[in-house]
Amino acid sequence: MTQSAKAFLRDLRREIESHPAVNHLFLNRLATSPFAKQDYRVFAENHYALVCIFTSYLESLLVRAPDSEAKLWLAKVLVDEYGEGSEGRDHSNLYASFLEATGGDPSAVMSENVRAPAHAFITTHQRLVRERPFLEGLGAVGPGHEWAIPKMFEAVIPGLRRAGFDETEIQYFTLHVEQDDDHGSWLEEALERYASETQAQQEIRRGAIASLEARGRFWEGVQREVIRYRQPRAPRPDGPKPRALLGEVLITAWDGFEAGKQLEDRVRGWWAERRPTLAGLRQLTRQH
Amino acid sequence: MRILLVMPTPFETGRLGLENVVWLSEPVALTSIAAAVPEEHEIRLLDLRLEPEDALAKALVDFAPDLVGTTSMTTDVYQAKAVLRMTRQIRPEALTVVGGHAPTLQPQEFEEDYIDVVVQGEGEHTFRELVERWDQVVSAGAQLDAVSRRFPGIPGVRYRDEGGYVVNAKREQTVALDELPAPDRSLVAKYYGRYFFTVARPMASIFTSRGCSFDCNFCAIWEFYERRTRFLSAEKIADQMQACKEDFIFLLDDNFLTSKRRLTELCEELERRKLKKFWMTQGRTDFVADNPELIARLAKNGLIGLLSGFESNDDDSLASLRKKNTWDKNKRANQILRDNGVFSTGIFMVRADWTREQFQGLYDYINTLEIGIPLVTILTPLPGTQLYRAYQDKLLTTDYRLFDLLHAVLPTKLPREEFYQEFARALDATEDSAHRAMKNVAKRRPDFMRKYAKNMLWFYARTWRYQRVHRDYRSFLRDEEGLLNGPGAKAQLTWRDVEYPRGDEHSKQAQQEPGLVKLRIPKDTWVDELPAVGVAPPKGRNNPDSPIAAE
Repeated sequence: MTQSAKAFLRDLRREIESHPAVNHLFLNRLATSPFAKQDYRVFAENHYALVCIFTSYLESLLVRAPDSEAKLWLAKVLVDEYGEGSEGRDHSNLYASFLEATGGDPSAVMSENVRAPAHAFITTHQRLVRERPFLEGLGAVGPGHEWAIPKMFEAVIPGLRRAGFDETEIQYFTLHVEQDDDHGSWLEEALERYASETQAQQEIRRGAIASLEARGRFWEGVQREVIRYRQPRAPRPDGPKPRALLGEVLITAWDGFEAGKQLEDRVRGWWAERRPTLAGLRQLTRQH
Repeated sequence: MRILLVMPTPFETGRLGLENVVWLSEPVALTSIAAAVPEEHEIRLLDLRLEPEDALAKALVDFAPDLVGTTSMTTDVYQAKAVLRMTRQIRPEALTVVGGHAPTLQPQEFEEDYIDVVVQGEGEHTFRELVERWDQVVSAGAQLDAVSRRFPGIPGVRYRDEGGYVVNAKREQTVALDELPAPDRSLVAKYYGRYFFTVARPMASIFTSRGCSFDCNFCAIWEFYERRTRFLSAEKIADQMQACKEDFIFLLDDNFLTSKRRLTELCEELERRKLKKFWMTQGRTDFVADNPELIARLAKNGLIGLLSGFESNDDDSLASLRKKNTWDKNKRANQILRDNGVFSTGIFMVRADWTREQFQGLYDYINTLEIGIPLVTILTPLPGTQLYRAYQDKLLTTDYRLFDLLHAVLPTKLPREEFYQEFARALDATEDSAHRAMKNVAKRRPDFMRKYAKNMLWFYARTWRYQRVHRDYRSFLRDEEGLLNGPGAKAQLTWRDVEYPRGDEHSKQAQQEPGLVKLRIPKDTWVDELPAVGVAPPKGRNNPDSPIAAE
């Protein structure tokens, strides 16, 4: 039996707010541990790409929106993203200020190849908003973002304050906790119109969950980058299952083999080269 | 009621740290409190050191616990808090409880809106009472609001009230450990084979005593246990060892080598049952030096390794740490251990004000000892210790992750880079000691080597990668980059501003704080005849076996 739209949205919201990605251990660590500005620089260098590309998802959906109701909601969010409520500074601009406050260089990040965790996240979302049914895309950038971000940033903000950033430097985050609450409410109204059929509910949920799973992998990747920054030669910890003897020996032999290390670096570099620069990616999304 | 107990990770996975490389023991603190909970409750244990990153979130959703408990040592403070914060986010109705070493000694660190209860001191009885009280609330279908999360009348807890935290009466320690149930090891059965000490795995972990009656100024164990040592009977120890499926057991006692009488009884019990297990434990070297026959008998009954605090290579330093031991006894003890094929793991401490010559002197000394695993650490004022109280305003950092004994939290005399260069040299400088000790154990304990030689390659492969990080002094510098912002750093203190202890600080403090009991350690503690069974020593403190009397 099909749930009512209200009940479906209530359950979906609960599912999103308790999702492992929204409550990722890395986020809780940021909330409870005294990470330094250097750690947040690594965080920001990874996260910046997501912020720069976000509006392109909305723009893609806007073109595909089936009616004016959906178009209206997407346009409202876009207006905020372009700088409404932040003195005309668009959100990527706001984030660039934060990146600078961490000691990072936004123009350098713009000309670098997009980091692997961010690239995987962006690719997933581009596929969702361009190739999947409209409601799946809406589920990803709607509930998958608007209902998730305030909760995730509530974990990030206390850590930023502890690290010594001032309120203007972290405005991107504080603004999103406020704005995304509004966006979430608008969204709920907009979604109620579509979420009355089982198939529509399934599509919205599928998109939201796909977005969150990509988000979980992203946070895991960012945490790995922060640890790699602290310990570039860190021992490779076991995965979910203990490594077998052969695996342990092979990894050790590989790590101790200088030519192997060089080969690994070259392969990593080659993979990175295959990813576009952030500036290039922005250009591509505009053309699209 | 559903209860989820969570062992936090020591650091963000992959960060510098000894755990997971040399030694990983069962979360005995959690299996012990679990054993005290009535059977009608369903308990699950999650060891995050062995689980993927999303395991906790999944468990909170799938298992939907009514109560989530975690434990914390000093370095785990943030990780334990992250566990309970996540719990509040995903499962807001669950009661969140933290206990253990850090919450007992620094409870203010856990005063957070997502932590309902802080358990202080020994947890078994307190946790059982908390579970029973919370079960009544949950079963009654009452609203799980802030008022329902108050626990007046349960000793040993701090809980939140309108006006802040309420501290209940102190929980008295259980005098006879035999009265406590054995740890519920069935909860960690799913991790069978994942706990280990060097090559020895699968490994079981149990405890046979709690506390230490010495009062070293760098250690908080005796403060946690209020200077009492309590023991399990030989029969109970043998029961627990017998129940272990694993052939190797780590006895996690703070100081296993305390009473001759109890160890003699244990040997008798193990011999009577013909119990053949390998086991290792922690204990003082002066006991070993003074009781060679008993050590030989323990070795015959399975003692294969001993982890001891050698701490230093000179008597003045030992005195300043209130260690009440001598370098000569360290040396004699190590010879006795070698003669009996007992693998010695020695912990040494360098000081932030050391020079290059002092480092070299320590490494030379270690090589004369032939210690199997020399663990060279940095003297760290850990919270809850006398040293911490003396130096808390001089600390370069207040990030507890750096209180892992591998980072200098006080100003160094050598430039920091040079200090860590000397420190990172420890592995190579003491390699000779380790190799000779390994050969000795191989020769004297062929039964052990036959059994565990197959793990040698696994262990070497694993530690080699860690050693690669440890050998590079820049690893330590990178780890602390941006985090040296404690009071000492803000005041721009140098090593000259830090006066290291001479050894009489405790006596001075005891005079200022009359509640503290000044201990008198007999000149030759271990060879003194112990009182007969059942006769309490005069002025003893709940410790009928203790050779130590209080003044």
